[in-house]
Amino acid sequence: MSTLLTVRGLQAGYGGVPVLRGIDIYLDTGEAIGLFGPNGHGKTTLLRVISGLLRPTAGSVTFDGSDISHAKPSAIVAAGLVHAQQGNTMFSDMGVEETLQLAAFTPRARDGWKDRLTEVHTLFPRLAERRKQLARTLSGGERQMLSIGCALMCAPRLLILDEPTLGLSPRLKGELRDAIGIIAAKGVPLVVVEQDVEFLLALTNRLYLVEQGEVGHEIDRAHAPNHQEIMNMYFGEQAH
Amino acid sequence: MDGVLIPTLVSGLLLGSLYALMASGLSLVWSTLGVFNFAHGALMTLGAYFAWTVSEQLGWGLGAGFVAGIAAAVVGGVLIELLLVRPFYGNRAMLLVTVMTTLAASTIIERSISIIWGPRLKQLPRVIEGQVSIFGAPISSHEAMIILLAPVVLAALWWYTSKTRSGRSLRAVGQNQDSAALVGIDVPRTFSLAFGLSAALAGLTGILLGSIRFVTPGLGADPLTNAMIVVIFGGLGSLGATAGAAYVIGMLEALLILWLGLYWTPSVVFLALIMILIFRPNGLFGRAS
Repeated sequence: MSTLLTVRGLQAGYGGVPVLRGIDIYLDTGEAIGLFGPNGHGKTTLLRVISGLLRPTAGSVTFDGSDISHAKPSAIVAAGLVHAQQGNTMFSDMGVEETLQLAAFTPRARDGWKDRLTEVHTLFPRLAERRKQLARTLSGGERQMLSIGCALMCAPRLLILDEPTLGLSPRLKGELRDAIGIIAAKGVPLVVVEQDVEFLLALTNRLYLVEQGEVGHEIDRAHAPNHQEIMNMYFGEQAH
Repeated sequence: MDGVLIPTLVSGLLLGSLYALMASGLSLVWSTLGVFNFAHGALMTLGAYFAWTVSEQLGWGLGAGFVAGIAAAVVGGVLIELLLVRPFYGNRAMLLVTVMTTLAASTIIERSISIIWGPRLKQLPRVIEGQVSIFGAPISSHEAMIILLAPVVLAALWWYTSKTRSGRSLRAVGQNQDSAALVGIDVPRTFSLAFGLSAALAGLTGILLGSIRFVTPGLGADPLTNAMIVVIFGGLGSLGATAGAAYVIGMLEALLILWLGLYWTPSVVFLALIMILIFRPNGLFGRAS
């Protein structure tokens, strides 16, 4: 099995304030991994660096054998690394169908875009019902579906999902998780950020706990910790 | 009164057509980058002078003049984006900084034109000679052609931005840069595209204007203020709203010139803009946010 994504010693921050202090993670071809950890500890920043929206100050990101640490976001998407952002409204004044069509933008994504659109509609029938509706009139759950749908239209060779169920009702959470499960079952390599560790354990092979801008723990599904142990990782082994 | 009203409305229609062409270019850059290009008028002038040189001085004909004028404006527009706007992306005061840098570009282009072409007035030939009559109002065929051309150009622009991949990418970048980048759109390249396309419109408008009025270094700068009023009046956004506002302002201006004379018309147009913005803060056709 070859390595699809390698992040080594990655450091980055905003305006001189460091957020990532040396992150090391990897993902093998055909694998799904999860990231979890407290808010504000660098998960979203890590994803922004991987997809090229933020430049790292040190370290490297390698995708499919080539260094993409300083590549343009558009080139990274063109290579097949696709990132669906957290709580993303996409393009507020654009219709659902138009947005999905536009998302098949890179030359690689144009081939077979119609088939992928059908797949997206099968996965999220609601997007088919709301074809003409403008993105800003969609509910939170529908926006999330559109965001993931757009990522699928990009023909991902690696799909990054940042808290795809954040702020949704339990019913919608379930619906989206089922959809993500179907995507994973199709063999699309995934990096999923979630707070729900049980969900991540069911979906992915390995988990990374990101805290204070570093990888605090790496968890293998084969040696999955129980609920109490995960709580301990979050909150510390004992009260101080 | 009847004998004056129809010619006034026709000249309002002509003004509106020219404003629509100017303002749609301005609005294209505004809606993609959130920047007002104060050099838009200077690019119009640049287009008119290049067209004059190729068509009249070199004698290659008006068709070649149109191509050269539009090409010169596009080169100018893309250079302005590259040199004077791009360095300030992500700057918190980008809107204000680019007001200054594009004003600087406007001054530099105008002064360079004065030096290169000299102070003597030039005149571009008309596309069509002769006269036609619209509802009994006599008008030159050339002006009638402009009145017909403007909606065609606007419709083509609408089709481009709503139906083609690259046109849609302009709107996507204007609405959400990060999301646009994450579906693979090259955002800086799209900025250049917006500036280039807007400059092409500027070049075209400049040539059309230069064949109605004399070509002077101030050709484009004079109507620029009104074109900006049109963009704000329309509600800073959609092409349809900008075009609608262009015709409203054109008509209003023509009627005010008839009723009040040239002297007070600009002040009253501004007052009308302020009143509209008090009662409709998002512009005449703007959507309440």
